[in-house]
Amino acid sequence: MDTLFFENLLSQNLYGFAYLSPESRVVTANKRFARFTVSTGDVQRQSITQLFPETFGLEAILSAIIDGSQPTFSLENINRESEDGEINYFNISFHPTDDADKPLFCLITDVTDKATLQQQVNQQRNEIQLLEGILKAQSSEGFAHIWGDSEPISKVKRTIEKIAKIPTATILLTGESGTGKSMIARIIHYSSQGSQAPFVEINCAAIPDTLLESELFGYEKGAFTNAMTTKPGLLETAHNGTLFLDEIGEMPPKLQAKLLSFLETRRFRRLGSNKEISVDIRLITATNRHLKKLVHEQAFREDLFYRLSVVNIDLPSLRVMGDDILTLASNFVNGLNISYKKSVKGFTSEARNKLRNHEWPGNVRELRNAIERAMIFVEGDAIDAEDLQIGMLSSSEPSASPLERFKLPPEGISFDEIEKKLLQDAMAIAEGNQSRAAKLLHLSRDTFRYRLEKYHLI
Amino acid sequence: MNSMNQKKICILGMFGVGKTSLVERFVYNKFDDEYKSTIGIKVCQKLLSPIETDQHKIVQFNFLLWDIEGAEVITPQIQNYMIGAHGALIVSDLTRPDSISVANNIVEAYQQTAPGTPFVLAGNKFDLIAAESENIQQLEELGETLKAPVLLTSAKENNNVEAAFEKLGLLIASS
Repeated sequence: MDTLFFENLLSQNLYGFAYLSPESRVVTANKRFARFTVSTGDVQRQSITQLFPETFGLEAILSAIIDGSQPTFSLENINRESEDGEINYFNISFHPTDDADKPLFCLITDVTDKATLQQQVNQQRNEIQLLEGILKAQSSEGFAHIWGDSEPISKVKRTIEKIAKIPTATILLTGESGTGKSMIARIIHYSSQGSQAPFVEINCAAIPDTLLESELFGYEKGAFTNAMTTKPGLLETAHNGTLFLDEIGEMPPKLQAKLLSFLETRRFRRLGSNKEISVDIRLITATNRHLKKLVHEQAFREDLFYRLSVVNIDLPSLRVMGDDILTLASNFVNGLNISYKKSVKGFTSEARNKLRNHEWPGNVRELRNAIERAMIFVEGDAIDAEDLQIGMLSSSEPSASPLERFKLPPEGISFDEIEKKLLQDAMAIAEGNQSRAAKLLHLSRDTFRYRLEKYHLI
Repeated sequence: MNSMNQKKICILGMFGVGKTSLVERFVYNKFDDEYKSTIGIKVCQKLLSPIETDQHKIVQFNFLLWDIEGAEVITPQIQNYMIGAHGALIVSDLTRPDSISVANNIVEAYQQTAPGTPFVLAGNKFDLIAAESENIQQLEELGETLKAPVLLTSAKENNNVEAAFEKLGLLIASS
């Protein structure tokens, strides 16, 4: 190709170019070449690194192009800020020539339009990823790392590691309230089945018995009065994933039998349907009640208990986790620093002692709430003991209500026994007057009588 | 300035870790809370304060700082940016453990392109995390494995930023 024609073509297409000497100094250049340099003077005889500091350190590469051991070299998307603050982007590339006096050809390509577009795409993609990261850190999926190194928590980690490899195992999570059973269920799910598989959660104590049945098993249109449409149950929704039944100890006996039947056959029928549906799910259940005791009291089916507890993970209470309390607390601070745009570095030694010495009846939930409260009010860069409003609900606290003073014993307690005791106490205080006793428990007289009958107290 | 004392320094790390913020804090002493992703490279320079080496020599470097676009995977183009570097600041975001894992891969690619040159690991956004954070431990363990100094920095609060570049200067002076 004719050199002049080639150079004209480049100039027409808004390229800058220059021929360089063996020492990488400009021999000749077109006008546009100077528009991209950092110096404003004449470019003639100036070294390429003076004009383009971005080429600093490339001496060996340029020599290699001249001696033919490297064909070309390019740097893409070099940023150059104009005086008015606008950023322009260009590519710079080096090519060999046949001319011994000017053996290097340097080509500058303005790529501002393309790079600006790319910047906008990257900006949006990265912002989304950064926001997702923040959300993940605050959501249950982000807890896929179980914090702590104490022996009780290490034991839990080892068990989870093993069961994550066996996707069909049925798992029972036990432990005091606030020990993170729901979080552990999610960790098991995400570590074995990944984020694409469904994770379906329902609290058996939170919804009425009849609704729980239809929620779990689904129903056909017309199955009952308000069944206007067919609705698949949670068992179907959890197909190829995990169904997590929290507070399984509260499941009514009729439903226990139905759940057992499903676990034995892996099949079920929607309410109002004769058609059997087969699903593949992992079942994780959780309770803070003593299930074996419930079995003895005939409040929970023994056969279902054994079915559910193929693998039993007993989650430790916070008070047996030693210095893991501090690790957990620090991680809560990290997460909340991002949410609250604060820069809290940690805890004073008094605060650390307070964290260590508290009994944590509400376990991790109580700890998290205490840290969150402290993060709202802390003024310095470290949380002090007085920022931590913990131990407010202890039995020695005179202002605590009877309800606040009541603490669930670590080994659990029968709900029926408590109810019976309350009824007896109320009757004793009211000296046998049922209306007064009902009032003490904020119940109607009829409800109170019904409960007395239930426990054969009249 | 003696051209021998001009040093090419690469600022590397995953996107959003705060590479540009560190450079802007170091060079212009400014900080912008708004994130703006970098495309390609931005080069600027900063004359360091004189440094006394272990051999009691006083040196002063002019750092040419190459603020390189963030990437999880080191592409051939990013390796081109690293050619001829005298040192690198490998930046992680202390609130994002994945950015610390990626730093290990970046160091590997950097060492292939600029073998034998020193680098410093910077754990940025230190203002956002607690001192006992496991992410700090993770970065310090990486530093021990790679035998590289670790500095916990905050571009926002101007914490350890100058110290990180000075540390790199010292390593270059004694290499």
